[in-house]
Order: sequence, then structure tokens, then C-alpha cells
Amino acid sequence: MINFDNSATTFPKPQSVRNAVALAVERYGGNPGRSGHRLSAQAAEQVFIAREKAARFFHSEVENVAFTSNCTYALNMAIKGILQYGGHTVISSLEHNSASRPVYGLHRHRGVRYSIANVETDDENTVRNFEELISSDTKCIICTAASNVTGQITPVKRLAELARERGIAFICDCAQASGVLNITLDTGPDFICTSGHKGLYGPVGTGLLITNGKYRLSTIIEGGTGTTSAELEQSPDMPERLESGTVNTVGIMGLAKGIDFVNSKGTANIRAHEERLCERLIAALRQHRNITVYRSKGAHYAPIVAFNIDGIYSTQLAQYLGSKGFALRGGLQCAALAHNSLGTLDTGVVRFSPSAFNNRQQVNMLIGEIERVASGKADITA
Amino acid sequence: MPKSLIAMTSITYAMKAKRFLNNKGIYCEIVRTPKNLGSGCGYCLSVTKDPREIIRLLEKENIPHKNILSDKGL
Repeated sequence: MINFDNSATTFPKPQSVRNAVALAVERYGGNPGRSGHRLSAQAAEQVFIAREKAARFFHSEVENVAFTSNCTYALNMAIKGILQYGGHTVISSLEHNSASRPVYGLHRHRGVRYSIANVETDDENTVRNFEELISSDTKCIICTAASNVTGQITPVKRLAELARERGIAFICDCAQASGVLNITLDTGPDFICTSGHKGLYGPVGTGLLITNGKYRLSTIIEGGTGTTSAELEQSPDMPERLESGTVNTVGIMGLAKGIDFVNSKGTANIRAHEERLCERLIAALRQHRNITVYRSKGAHYAPIVAFNIDGIYSTQLAQYLGSKGFALRGGLQCAALAHNSLGTLDTGVVRFSPSAFNNRQQVNMLIGEIERVASGKADITA
Repeated sequence: MPKSLIAMTSITYAMKAKRFLNNKGIYCEIVRTPKNLGSGCGYCLSVTKDPREIIRLLEKENIPHKNILSDKGL
């Protein structure tokens, strides 16, 4: 099967990642940071090496890299850790449920108010939309760097400046950005929440919360950290404060090699490669009047293409393409807000998201299959 | 050679300190805090150099630490 659903998780993984995972299981079986014996120390060393690589990648201090299970966990930690009770937040109209649901949950149960800033094609307008919604009790801005539905890129740097000017935190969801867009702490977010298993090519079950250390998060999970064990109070030190329980050494060692892979290719090169594949697909899709490609003039996009064929529900088309050997995702992509903005809540979209491992020939094969459907030559109900 | 112990606040800071000191050519090891010197779990830097000098270097690098647990040789 050819995977064009790399926004969900990249597959295949680089050989170096597969090797690291095998090595971790085979050789680094101690519990890192929990004991004084060699097995534990060796595992802890590997976790630290991965932490150093992530820190260099995102331009942070090594202790400000917390490993999580995925981006959703990272976002929950940052959002709930900042907002806690009461106050207000501004989120973008493109947020994934991993940001919008925790915010809504805080609204329902902890009296947090929220506003939704419309992301427009014009960055000036987008920033102004955020600015107009900030009030005296706003604690943070939450914005994805790139929509997981259309790939639309948001003005992260400008929003970070706005947050800094207003003295509030900026939490940035980089799930679709890391590995293709060069967003680091230098870009301005106070918190970068991202997955390890998408554009960073790590194994599933890996994510990262990166912070500049300006804000201390209250915790949503407490437990063993391997230090200050005599105290009932959760460890105050990062990253242990956010890493209760045994960390995923196997995934983390794989993630370290994934980051190496991205560094070896270069983020800009990976993006350029994937964009060429997207452009090839878009050019073909736009030949058909009954195909809608969800891209607007003036907006910038990460390498994702959302489209629909008139009269065919997105999941039905994705299922058909799946039966022909192409993995794409139909439906709402867990992003109701984004689909509401796009006007596709009823239909969803089919999402094409390539990786460094896809090539033009694979895209041409996919185009052939989509064209058969669009021109009525394929019976997708069969 | 006699060794001294400097208690660290976390395993990550202990490793950060070790990396920093090793890069400066200063040998150190990470060891568990001996039971008779500390309560609960904890990690120490075991150093052969003057621990006060090491602490000065760590503070310059903004690496948090706790106290010197033993400078009488272990």
C-alpha cells in the first residue's frame, strides 16, 4: 500500500529509526532515571542523547524538552497547565480537536472562556482577528502552525510577537509543521507541541513539548519521576515535572534517529520534495470541474492537499482509493473547527499528505485512479 | 583519588552537568545519592576536582544543583 496519509503518521520509517527501535528493545531495557545500576544509566543516557537532539532541533535548553506520548498529550499539558481555572483564551479557527477539545473541556468544567479567531488568507487580518479578541483576562493564544486539514500555514511569528506584547503565553501546535516548516523557539512560541511520529519520522507513541521556560506549567499527571521521591509534591524541575512514570525509551531512541534523518535531508529539502508532489496532484485535480481543491490564493500551505469530488462523500472516496492501494484520509480529520471554517462539516475532505519517501510515480498512479472516479469510469460503490 | 559528591536536582540536570563538564575536560560520574547522605531518590555528580570550583562552573552555566554532600573523600 502506498501511504499518502503521512499527516496521520509517516510510514514507512527510515531504516535508522527501525534499527534504533530494535536496538532499544534488545539492549536498553533498564528504566531510565530510576535506578543507579548500569542498565538504568545506559537507558537514561540514550534518552538524554535524544533530548539533546530535540533541543538542538527546536533551539531549546535540553531540560525544556519533555517527551510525551503524542502531540495531543503535549497540547493538553500546555493548555491545561496554563489555563487551569477561569480566565480566557483565544484559539484559531483551524484547531485540531487536540487543542479545541481541552479548551472546551476547561470551558465546561473550569469556567475558562474562549474565543475563536478566524484564520484568513491574509496574515494581517489573521493577526488582527486574534488581537481584537484578547481581553484583560486572556492567558494564552493557541494556534496551529499549519492546518491538519488543508495545510494552511498561520502567521506564527506575528502571533508570537502579539502574545509577547500582551504578556500572554503562546501555545503552538506544530504537529503538521515539524519536519517541513522551520519553527523553533526562536520563531517565538512559548510552547511548541508536536508529534514525534509524523514529520520527525519517529515511531508512533512519541511526542514533544518544548518550552522556553518562561511559564511554569501546572501538571495534569503526577507520579514517579525518579527524583525527590520523599516529597509528595511533584518535582519542580523540567522535564521530570512533565514526565511522570516510565518514559518510552524505545520510541524516544527511534525519534532521535528520526530527527537525525530530518537533519540529514534538511527541512527545506523535505518540504520542497513534498510540495512538488502536492503541486503535481493539484495540477491534475484542477483539470476536472467536478473536483474541488481546498486552497486559496494568497495563503501559504504545508505539503497537504485537501480535495473532494462532487457528489461523493470523502470517506467513500478514501475507502475506494484504499481498495486500490492508496492510503488517504477522508472525513473530518479530527478537526471540526477547521471544517466549519472550510464549509465541509457535512462532507469532510479527502486529504493527501506525502512524505520524504513518496515519489512522482506514486502520485501519477494515484492521479490515474482519482481521474477514473472523477470521469465516472470507476464504480466506487462496488 | 578522593572524590566529592554534588547533589543534583534531577537526572536530566545531572546529565547536562556531566556533558558540560566532560566537554571542558573535567571528569565526573553520575551516581545515586548514598542513603546516608540524602533522603529519597536522587542523583549526584561524583567529581575528583574541588567541588566548590565545579559548583562555580555549574552556576555560571545556569545548571541547578543542590549542595555538596561530601568533600572529605569517598
